[in-house]
Amino acid sequence: MPRFDDQDDAQESRPFRPLLRQGPRFARDAAARPILMFEDVYKSYRPGAPVLRGMNLVIERGEFVFITGPSGSGKSTLLRLLYRSETVDEGRILFMGRDIARLKDDSVPFLRRNIGVIFQDFKLVKTWSVFENVAITLEVLGLPQRLIKARVGEALERVGLAGRGSDAAGVLSGGEQQRVAVARAIVGEPALILADEPTGNLDPQLAIDILGLFEEIHESGTTVLFATHDRSLLDVRSRRLIVLDEGKAMDVAMGIAPAEEGYDNELPL
Amino acid sequence: MLSIGTTRRAQRGMLREWRLHALSVFSLAVAFVCLGAALLVVTNLRAVEDRWAHAGRVSVYLKDSISTPDVEALKSALTATAGVKSVRYISSGQARQDFAQTEKKNLAGLSQEAFPSSIEVEVQPDMADAELTEMVTKLEKLPGVDEIETYQAWTDRLARLVRGGVAASGILALVVFASVLAVVGSTIRLALQRRRTEVEVLKLVGATDRFIKGPFLVEGSAQGAMGAMGALALLATLFFLVKGRLDGELSSLIGVEPSFLPWPIALGMVGVGAVLGALAALLGLRRLVAV
Repeated sequence: MPRFDDQDDAQESRPFRPLLRQGPRFARDAAARPILMFEDVYKSYRPGAPVLRGMNLVIERGEFVFITGPSGSGKSTLLRLLYRSETVDEGRILFMGRDIARLKDDSVPFLRRNIGVIFQDFKLVKTWSVFENVAITLEVLGLPQRLIKARVGEALERVGLAGRGSDAAGVLSGGEQQRVAVARAIVGEPALILADEPTGNLDPQLAIDILGLFEEIHESGTTVLFATHDRSLLDVRSRRLIVLDEGKAMDVAMGIAPAEEGYDNELPL
Repeated sequence: MLSIGTTRRAQRGMLREWRLHALSVFSLAVAFVCLGAALLVVTNLRAVEDRWAHAGRVSVYLKDSISTPDVEALKSALTATAGVKSVRYISSGQARQDFAQTEKKNLAGLSQEAFPSSIEVEVQPDMADAELTEMVTKLEKLPGVDEIETYQAWTDRLARLVRGGVAASGILALVVFASVLAVVGSTIRLALQRRRTEVEVLKLVGATDRFIKGPFLVEGSAQGAMGAMGALALLATLFFLVKGRLDGELSSLIGVEPSFLPWPIALGMVGVGAVLGALAALLGLRRLVAV
């Protein structure tokens, strides 16, 4: 259950975060563990053609991670497994110490309240206003309207859309729509942000702007997984880079001058 | 539980898809008009039946040969009978005169036998049927009595008519139930399809199925209730229009003032519409968009 039963004025200034239901397998030391652990994860959509083949990956709290790889390498699958749109065939995915694959269907919404997801096609309700698109994240949590107004205002300000709450989402430009999607993802202050090709529909300058937005979010302590195959973005920032290839994840250091650090900067893209 | 947020989201959905919902409400109103009309007829027939079942009158038609002392003896005996309120003798001539005055017609062509003398007995309205039957049986055995009219046959015919009306209403109710399920179910499935992105977004931000379904249930319920209310409004308009035109003729003919559907039945129709609408929406939402 979300823990928002006793909101008061003090809560407005306090960061809040919906909790996963603890369940019988809850481990109290979960907070000290990595936020995400993939353990020998297999996933296939067709027999004999697995997308992920025994993938192992650890992501620590507060990391900003680029996930890249060629089309069909499993970037989107990896993210879909995380927000439980898909389930693993084998292996475990531990999110904050809990195995996502073992979650019952009625626990999935509570998992998703801890994850903000951003898509290439924005997934906004075009007939809703900007405010409504962002506020829905908090309405789901049952927060009072007064608090929702304040939080949404803050989120829109963070993404550079202050004062645009009453605009219809459908009339915004692509960059603005993506900013609304980002605001919707961050307004609930989730532990993890998943971005699935969020700049795929934007021109290069807008793409860099949006990336900057994600970095600002990351600076506030949120873990960000940013899936992209846009090489230019990877070159812009020095971040941990995970390349998906042949169903496995490989850590590739990049964005740092090879001469300086001695890394091989060649990507298998 | 129905929250303000759910109601607000339902209202928002209905306003945005108002054409779809208006069409659905209109279709339901047509179905409910049929049911409401049948119930209206049954209600009034039942009132007429009740009125005549407790008519409190017995007409004792006398033979032409009966003597005046026998008539007086019969009157005295009836007056002394328990449950009898009043006794009035109407001679053949008076009956002819009364009828001529009421109908304003020349009755010269009619024979004397057409208007037999009679004793009109007014009984207490709460007189038991068994007591009345016993009194009638005794009267029939008297030599001066030709025929007795208790209006029971008329009441029996009305009762049969009411039973037929109730059966017809039952069948119409089933038709209405089926149409509510079909119309609301289809509307909600269509609305769900049109709001596919909205449902996807809700699921992505962690909405439970209950949270997602809530507004659709409210919408289905509102459609059912509004359909029933629309039907009642239409029926009421027609009813009072017709009643006004007849100007009391109908009530003098059937003996009771025609009345519209009683409040409990009208509210029941709206309640049934609301419940059925919610049920239909629930059935239409069995398979939500998978995200």
